[in-house]
Amino acid sequence: MDQDQVYEVFARKTHQETLQHVGSLNASDDELAKVYAWTMYDEEKWVEMCVIPRKSVIQVTHDSKIPLWGN
Amino acid sequence: MKKSTTQTIFESTEGMTPECKEALRYLLLACADTKLLLGYHYGEWTFGPPEIEAAVAFCSLCQSELGHVRLLHALLTKHYKDDPEKLVESAKPEEFANISYLDNEIKSWPDIVAVNYVVDLAVTTLLLSMRNSSFKPLHMSLEKMLEEERYHIHHGQGWFRTLSKKSAETKQAIQKSAQNALVKVVEWFGPPDSEYDRVLVQAGIKSESSSEILDKYLSELGNLAASLGVDLGLSKANGTWRLNTTFEWDSWDPKTRRLTKTGPDPEILYHLRGSKNKVFKLS
Repeated sequence: MDQDQVYEVFARKTHQETLQHVGSLNASDDELAKVYAWTMYDEEKWVEMCVIPRKSVIQVTHDSKIPLWGN
Repeated sequence: MKKSTTQTIFESTEGMTPECKEALRYLLLACADTKLLLGYHYGEWTFGPPEIEAAVAFCSLCQSELGHVRLLHALLTKHYKDDPEKLVESAKPEEFANISYLDNEIKSWPDIVAVNYVVDLAVTTLLLSMRNSSFKPLHMSLEKMLEEERYHIHHGQGWFRTLSKKSAETKQAIQKSAQNALVKVVEWFGPPDSEYDRVLVQAGIKSESSSEILDKYLSELGNLAASLGVDLGLSKANGTWRLNTTFEWDSWDPKTRRLTKTGPDPEILYHLRGSKNKVFKLS
């Protein structure tokens, strides 16, 4: 079975805005994640919305340390 | 089925043959009744899904189905002088033309997933055949419905896949629910050579016959189920999926799209009707 994974949801209301993080959700695959994003975060008329599996996010800072080589 | 190359565009039902006008009314009623019951069951399953995201999704699916009912009822009101109040509030159970899998309470999660995938997809595939309908008012309403239905299909498919892969137990459960739903859907599609269907295709109200739509629908279901090792009671011959169950169509009623005089559970109709609360109406 596809285990549930966390997806981060990003959206913007106008093309002039940058994408903003609006929340997260659990889903077993990308298609369900799209449905859940659309139904859970429907408070605005978004011009763009996307979901990103949290595991695909590359951490830049760890434990508040400055992202320098060796940290 | 052959279609004429110069298709008449209908701004209203004026100009349609009486047979075509009646067949279109029956079709709109069948879609509206199915969507009404879909909305009811989705609403019920706003509580009880295995995860909160699915609960919110069903709440949203319920809202959009009820919105589609309003759109279809508006067409019936304007072009047939039907009264939406009567269509919902005072129709007898055996007058409803919904897919009969929705007649009773949907008690288990695999059953509501079968509703979401097998039943909902059937109505959407039928509506898709009217996307370029010669009946302009319907054509105008369909884009919104089809756009929203994309999410319904993704949700149904997603859970169908999930249950098919989770364990032998969940796979067996979704297989049983989907098989039961599919037999009812094929009954709703009706006989392959119905006169009511033929006039709609000839007038360009639908672009495909009922059997062509059913083929497309079964191909979608059959291919996904086969890829997951789920048996839906279908067999593939010469590239076409067919239901193993056969029907005697003699008693099929083109208005209710049923073989028997059945209908939604009166208890369900009582719950979904607002007339019992008429005394509280504001105006």
